[in-house]
Amino acid sequence: MEAGTTASTSWPVELRDVSVTYPNGTKALQNVSLRVEPGEMVSIVGLSGSGKSTLIRTINGLVQATSGEVSVGPYAMVGLKGRRLREARGHIGMIFQGFNLAERTDVFHNVLVGRFAHSSAFRTLLGLPSKTDRELALRALDSVGMLEKVWSRANALSGGQKQRVAIARALTQEPSVMLADEPVASLDPPTAHGVMSDLRRINREQGLTVLVNIHLMDLARQYTTRMIGLRDGRLVYDGPAAAATDADFEQIYGRPIQARDKLESQA
Amino acid sequence: MTTRELVVPPRPGNRIRNSLIIAAFVAFTVATCIPAIGGIELDVASIARNWRNGADKMLQLMQPNFEFLPRTWAPMLETLQMALVGAVGAAIVSIPLTLWAARPTNPNSFTRHVVRTIVNINRAVPDLVFATVLVAMVGVGALPGVITLFLFNIGIIVKLVSEAIDSADHGYMEAGRAAGGTQLKINRVTALPQSLPLFANQWLYSLELNVRISAILGIVGAGGIGRLLDERRAFYAYADVSIIILEILVVVILIEILSNLLRRRLV
Amino acid sequence: MTQTAPAPSQTQAPSPSAPPRPSKLWPTVFAIAAGAVVLVATAGLDIAWSELPELPGQVWHYLVLMFASPDWERLPRALFETWRSISMAWIGAILCVIVSIPLGMLAAKGVGPAWLRTGLRGIFAVLRAVPEVIVALVLLTVTGLTPFTGALALGIAGIGTQGKWVYETIESVQEGASEAVRAAGGSTAAVTRWALWPAAAPSLLSFALYRFEINIRTSAVLGLVGAGGIGSMLSNYTNYRQWDTVGMLLIVVVVATMIIDAISGRIRRRIMEGAKVRDLARSL
Repeated sequence: MEAGTTASTSWPVELRDVSVTYPNGTKALQNVSLRVEPGEMVSIVGLSGSGKSTLIRTINGLVQATSGEVSVGPYAMVGLKGRRLREARGHIGMIFQGFNLAERTDVFHNVLVGRFAHSSAFRTLLGLPSKTDRELALRALDSVGMLEKVWSRANALSGGQKQRVAIARALTQEPSVMLADEPVASLDPPTAHGVMSDLRRINREQGLTVLVNIHLMDLARQYTTRMIGLRDGRLVYDGPAAAATDADFEQIYGRPIQARDKLESQA
Repeated sequence: MTTRELVVPPRPGNRIRNSLIIAAFVAFTVATCIPAIGGIELDVASIARNWRNGADKMLQLMQPNFEFLPRTWAPMLETLQMALVGAVGAAIVSIPLTLWAARPTNPNSFTRHVVRTIVNINRAVPDLVFATVLVAMVGVGALPGVITLFLFNIGIIVKLVSEAIDSADHGYMEAGRAAGGTQLKINRVTALPQSLPLFANQWLYSLELNVRISAILGIVGAGGIGRLLDERRAFYAYADVSIIILEILVVVILIEILSNLLRRRLV
Repeated sequence: MTQTAPAPSQTQAPSPSAPPRPSKLWPTVFAIAAGAVVLVATAGLDIAWSELPELPGQVWHYLVLMFASPDWERLPRALFETWRSISMAWIGAILCVIVSIPLGMLAAKGVGPAWLRTGLRGIFAVLRAVPEVIVALVLLTVTGLTPFTGALALGIAGIGTQGKWVYETIESVQEGASEAVRAAGGSTAAVTRWALWPAAAPSLLSFALYRFEINIRTSAVLGLVGAGGIGSMLSNYTNYRQWDTVGMLLIVVVVATMIIDAISGRIRRRIMEGAKVRDLARSL
């Protein structure tokens, strides 16, 4: 990795005994502990409702842990508020299942959202990005092959293109950790592979720590190096992804493997 | 072959409840017709007695005095100016107020409720009541008219648009938050462009309403063609009144057509 | 792995060449033109702009006069007049709904003949453009300056909008149900009674209540031009410049309107939700 010097250093992520209980009483996570080393590519596997989304959101504070500790690089995320929280989030990129682009805004300004934590309120409000911000946004778009579409409105793009723009938005942050919440669940199989390889490329080339939620076992095996299994909010598996057997997956899912657990059977 | 006796299940529906509803309706209606407690006297006899008066007036109204038309240009222009200035002023002020009043763009429930309460009080005051009180405060002229329209429009725009924002999907805001943006930045870069069509629709609608309202504001002294209308009516110059009404009709319909054209382009 | 594309601050690679930004000439021209129109309109208004800075102070002065200690002595009278306004609004709403439901149904596609539809829609369009106050001014030559005139004016002036809502509602529910009745050999009247009416009734009822809410506001306006009710009282005390009474009256207007809005709004929600539940029960 000596050649892939990164703009920003890659950070570890650590959860110690984290539990999340929602106001309605749902226990989404129960006593989860794990440590992800800088530069790892980790998949978090589980059925819907197993706590994957909650887990990934406790890492950037979109969901606050009810108890336990979450640390990302130098930041202790639990209880972080206001400016410090936004600063921490500025170092953590995130992409979403539903892309979460502003549909009526052009690609360029959608990507600039990634500079929120790093730019002055004045510039943002007047819509005048600094030269660095502009440069970062264009480069990020170029790296996912979307520079062509920089002036298109987000609603004119296909699903795969939208997710690429969303990746560019996260990259524009110059993140130290990248989170992905079911990034391919709304995409067709070829596009899903494209997006997953983009994530792997970012991980390999920049040495960026990547955590990706995924419910499809074949994608987890193929693209990630380490796999974490969640069932009913508890950590039930932690090991190398490629070596995970069907039996391991059945244990994570808590039921026999079905066709819909694999991408290839859905084409 | 004997016909089997049919067992009909009991008819559902709550007869008692229905008759109570009808009773309440009748009671309320009767109460509105008792002059002693403030209800109104249904003086149908007066129609039988005086319908000839009305028919005469209608007949006079059917003969508009086109020679009066040149004298209406200036007041009509003033009416249109008031409508436009009131609508534009309200459009500008409505942006921050609306974003304050909607849940996704203002998570702070205290300030949100303050804005909503003020807007609701404002909406409960009928337009001409504002005009009457304002004319007494600042004197006869266009100024009380413009302020009336401005306040009236704020009420409509803030209520309707903030409710529309409340019920829309806001994935893009989560992305802004995850990137470490302040609420202000998220609103400016994503929420505002996203809700601009909603705004534009209500802005145009309030302009249409303004033309209609400002035509009658003059009756209480708040400027525009209404003053001329009231004056001619006081002189029993029904041919002149007729041409003014006709002109208002034409202008209202023209503005509606224009605003529909603009709406198709903007929304 | 020497090429690290998305790490710009340390690489010396040339800036990626973005495609040129599309021209924004026409939107800019349009915006400038619109801005100019607004400026000219503003400058042309007969308003003493130099006195504008004094305006907030002036308004504040009157607000204090009105609301610092509102005069509650005439509250009973005010409540009496409020009921008069509510009565005007209610009777006006009933009149309006009674007339506009049959007319609106006839104006819906597939119910009445085409010539009738065009004619009715034309009448609705014209009525929509006539302010209620003007309808009242014509009517008072027949019935005089009375609350009854106010109710009639509200009833007639509302037909334009109400009729439009009726035919739009009918057209939106027309598809499936009416075909079934027609297939069973029903006449147009049968279709209207057994297919269109049941499907449209909740919406129409809800619109009827909404008309009442609108009339509450408009009845105060009609009072200002002399039809009686709280508007007339307000107009009088404003003319006498008895600000403490005006303050009390404004509070009464606002509170009464908000209470009626809340009640009526709740009933409307119940009607629409009830309709949804029934639809669900039917489809199960």
